[in-house]
Amino acid sequence: MLDPERMPQLLGEFLARQQPAWRNIKVSSYEVMTDGYSRLLAKAIVTHDDGHEVLVLRGDPPSDKILIHTDRELEWDLVRTLNEHGIRTPRAHFFDATGEHLGTKALVIDFSHSQSFLPYVGAGGSIEGLPARLADALASYHAIPIDDLPAQMERPASWEAYLTQRIDEWRRTADAHVEDLPILRYMAGWLDAHRPAPVPLTLMHGDFQSANLMISDDGHFEILDWELASIGDPREDMGYFKAVAQIAPPDLLDDAGCEEMCARYRELTGLTELQVNPAVVAYFLILGVVGTVRRLLEGGADYARGTNHLMGSVFNMNSVQFGQSVWLPTADALGPVLDQLAAAAAQIQENV
Amino acid sequence: MLTRPTTEQVLVGIANELRDTVAPEVRSEPVQVLLGQIDQILRGLAVRSAHEIAWMHEEADTIAAVTGTDVGWPASLHLDDVCAWYDSVSRTLSAALDAAFAADDSARVAELKLLLDARSATEMKIVGALDLVGRG
Repeated sequence: MLDPERMPQLLGEFLARQQPAWRNIKVSSYEVMTDGYSRLLAKAIVTHDDGHEVLVLRGDPPSDKILIHTDRELEWDLVRTLNEHGIRTPRAHFFDATGEHLGTKALVIDFSHSQSFLPYVGAGGSIEGLPARLADALASYHAIPIDDLPAQMERPASWEAYLTQRIDEWRRTADAHVEDLPILRYMAGWLDAHRPAPVPLTLMHGDFQSANLMISDDGHFEILDWELASIGDPREDMGYFKAVAQIAPPDLLDDAGCEEMCARYRELTGLTELQVNPAVVAYFLILGVVGTVRRLLEGGADYARGTNHLMGSVFNMNSVQFGQSVWLPTADALGPVLDQLAAAAAQIQENV
Repeated sequence: MLTRPTTEQVLVGIANELRDTVAPEVRSEPVQVLLGQIDQILRGLAVRSAHEIAWMHEEADTIAAVTGTDVGWPASLHLDDVCAWYDSVSRTLSAALDAAFAADDSARVAELKLLLDARSATEMKIVGALDLVGRG
């Protein structure tokens, strides 16, 4: 994938090894795609005696151009699990685990014929009812039993331990940066002081945002790009979605949309209104971005140390600063509401 | 030394040339995305070049007043020295925040948070309108 000129031949040879039933394989088109920040993407049209395939290759960039370090083996195992559970995401077909065939470790997956969500909205597509469809998408993969997920995914000991670790990640991220970050330390203290009601841990997408969603002809979301998936609090994906939507509209989780999404999600999962509500989503808006913030700051720190030279790493510092400008007022508005919810939960506990 | 046109003016001029003259000639999508990112970076750098040393000093004065700490002075006005000093001032603020949360002192936390609000407002003067070029 590092040399697009050679890829039609390399891909044809790889597919011939992987799929001997396909005779006379020809890669008739190979186009580099620019949609992703972190991985190399390409679209290939492949013909053979039994028909044709439209495939996407998703591989690691060269080591000096890697913005975010993630594991292709884990992504392959996870997407196969998602396919087995019928989650709406492109089917994974082949994997070059060593990079010896495709030039870098790469997955070969189906090309989705659904429409990218952001261009769909840009072209005037209706968003009516989509907050509920968003809940459908979230609940679909949140329902996968943890035991079915790839063994190499870390299993937190408990929800409490998980949340403590996530909050501490804000402090660790601040400590690891090339300069002191008091806003991150404030957010850690605030998150600790306003913990929401616990829920069962589930699979988390980790980068659940509009740019990773496609919309099908029947109005359902397909989900792309699972490289940041982990096991954690399912509400982090909701908060993260809202966080990114504030930078890249539309915000399907505005006041009315968030109520609609929460109601549908509670209906699908059986969680309570104290566990899933707009205030808790907003709490996770802040908590849920820490993984991305850490990775973005690592890139900026590497640039400052001279160990990477990626303009993308510098550019991403703007996103961190924009995020800070959102978290601070959100914390102001949210604190009293979360205090009321905690008091209501305590009252219920007392009555029980 | 010649100081005019200022660094701010030149950086904005480069950004404008890249946007208006270079970008329309570029056919490669990845390069267009890169140019879009460079445009925003250059405009932010222009603002920083004009103000950052003054802004760091002004913020440090406020942190010193609220935390009651003598934050000292940078070794020189060269940017590396000012940044190193500003980092030490930020650590003073972080330590005060940790102490306020540990003491469950919400009034003190609120007082210190105003400093963070001011810092964030300054950062957004640099960032301007964020456009995540290349996504979606």
